[in-house]
Amino acid sequence: MARESFDKEIQFLRMLVLTSGAYSRQQFAERLGISVHTFDKTVKKLKEVVQTIQVEPPEDQDKAFIDTFRFNYYDSAEPALLFLFRAKSLKESESLRLSRILAGLNERPLTIKELLEVCCSGEEQEEIWPDEKTLRGDLRYLEEVGVIAKQPGPRPYRYRLYDDLIRQLSGDELCELFDFVDVMANTQVPSVQGYLLRDSLKKQLNRRSLADAAADPFLYKYHYYSRILDEAHLYPLLSAIRERRKVQFLYFSPKEGKNYSARPTNPLFERETEGRLEKMLPLKIVYDHQYGRWYLLACDKRKGVRKYRLEGITQIAEAEAVAEDLFQAEKKRLDGMLALSWMIDTGKPVTIRARFLNPVAGGGKNFVKERVLLQGQWGVITGEDEHSFIYEINVNGYTEIKPWLRSFGSSCEILEPLQLRQEMIQEWKELLAYYESV
Amino acid sequence: MNPFEKIFNYRVLSRLGESGAFLSTAHERAWLKLMLDHPSSADAFSGPTLDKLRTLLYQDEALPLHDHLIHKAASRERQVFHPLLKTLRHCIQHKHGVRLTFLLKDGMISPKQSGLPYRLEYSMVKREWYLLWYSWKRHDLLSVRLSKIASVSEVPVQEEACASALAEIGDLLESRKQRAVIEVQPEYNRELSRILYAFSCFEKEVHYDELSGIYSVALTYLGNEGEYVLSKLRFLGKRVRVTEGAVLKKRMRDSAMKALAQYGALEPPAE
Repeated sequence: MARESFDKEIQFLRMLVLTSGAYSRQQFAERLGISVHTFDKTVKKLKEVVQTIQVEPPEDQDKAFIDTFRFNYYDSAEPALLFLFRAKSLKESESLRLSRILAGLNERPLTIKELLEVCCSGEEQEEIWPDEKTLRGDLRYLEEVGVIAKQPGPRPYRYRLYDDLIRQLSGDELCELFDFVDVMANTQVPSVQGYLLRDSLKKQLNRRSLADAAADPFLYKYHYYSRILDEAHLYPLLSAIRERRKVQFLYFSPKEGKNYSARPTNPLFERETEGRLEKMLPLKIVYDHQYGRWYLLACDKRKGVRKYRLEGITQIAEAEAVAEDLFQAEKKRLDGMLALSWMIDTGKPVTIRARFLNPVAGGGKNFVKERVLLQGQWGVITGEDEHSFIYEINVNGYTEIKPWLRSFGSSCEILEPLQLRQEMIQEWKELLAYYESV
Repeated sequence: MNPFEKIFNYRVLSRLGESGAFLSTAHERAWLKLMLDHPSSADAFSGPTLDKLRTLLYQDEALPLHDHLIHKAASRERQVFHPLLKTLRHCIQHKHGVRLTFLLKDGMISPKQSGLPYRLEYSMVKREWYLLWYSWKRHDLLSVRLSKIASVSEVPVQEEACASALAEIGDLLESRKQRAVIEVQPEYNRELSRILYAFSCFEKEVHYDELSGIYSVALTYLGNEGEYVLSKLRFLGKRVRVTEGAVLKKRMRDSAMKALAQYGALEPPAE
């Protein structure tokens, strides 16, 4: 059976989060290129997940569903979008079985026979009681994902819950671990696995009456909220890179306005042939901190190196493997091309020189210089006097660095190259025209 | 590794709620093991706890990211954990007051000031921790870098005083809220995704006018975040225009005038 794809849900949630409030139901469906009926079905499915996880059902559930994704900074560091990763479909009987097995093993280690008894009791109809073969399959799966483990000893084997991580920690240690996981999940990428772990730890803190400890003392400012959606693609791609395998996927370039243009043409849900079918050797994944977006860099003998936004990638499937030396050669070539990329530009290097003016207010700290040192990547300060300093960087093209330089406003004057200087002057003129009447 | 595992399924999760079973998959442990390799883990745990965790995870393999995932345009990571985090977090959790001294610019130490710690805040831009705290003397919510705190000591606080301070903090945050409307220039609609990503770290409401095809973003931010909003606006340049928000409009105009003056390209106003 093909792996269940969450492409639709990811697209849907991304649009919901990014354009919060912009579209009516009709417009929303049009923009995703789907019928209102399909739209309603998707909402219904996601709603069910959210409501099952939420402890107290809110009064107005329709409103609450949208509000779940509204960014509310002072509320919590919990990512509302995490529930996407809980949306994997499961038959009612299977979810019942898995939870029975796990609850049973939480009491004590058990053999298959004993587990069969656990699963074949209770009020449910006998038709959904599993046979031994089904149960063995479940145990194999749970062992594979590392949730349970076989105990050493003679047959019949006993299985136990693999929960050493918390069983052996004191209350204080558990709190320390919770804090660590919270901070790392919120400040590092990737983070989905960390958020899932944080969720489980939080429940344990509550059980040990340490609920106060999980009361969100930390806030994380200026973080990109929707970044975890694209992590869904990260793991399959990483695994393909590790195995030196090509991947095939249907690509919708976000630039071509499929998602957000006035033309309702996102064909993801129905007219799938409008995407571009690609088969490439994945080499590297880039996380862009300026926008909180992800890129895949991949190559192909004929097309050379190509760059893809993860948000445009759908229907990923692994294809044939390539020889190790071919992969290494391509990777080395790409590393060379990327060495001077501000982001992912692999164009011709250019030297940029810019004068940064120190803040006028004397005595305070030099926040301009501080920011340049913090964000200026490998650029260096080559000269300095009491009013200003010169920053120099050799970078692949100036398109990607330009917004950053412009963000300093009048504190940054481009000296070289002349063309960039002139473009910047022109842009400031146009910006001034925007606000002429102020 | 599949992030959509059956074991994470919402029904399994809700059914297991009562039993108290702790589920951790090999994937989560692989992530944790990778994070424990981060230099900051030494600051986060006491030595014995860190050793214990490493022993507990010895059978697991750390998430093998190698250099397959790289970061671009990130602020340099200055600090992930700060030695004062633990103490201050403890005070916040137990609603204890604090007495603080600060490092002053001239290297001296400030007199003691007391207040109620509210939250610890990490800025992904500055890559630094801040303490948000309520000052009894100034009746105000203040923010200070942890690196500027010279000393912290715990002081008991009466429950009522704490409750009234928390209520006041709520009011203060509300009163500091600013609103601005930013319009996406229609010729840049194809870059809408990028523009919306840039504002995704703020509370916002997006409006779309079907007739004109114009998108506008109503941002809500706190007063002290104005500088960051401005830098984002300048970052995006011609793609966006502030249509509501007198301060931002004026500041954008000043930026443009000063920048042009700096370039010697400011044309005298037409008569």
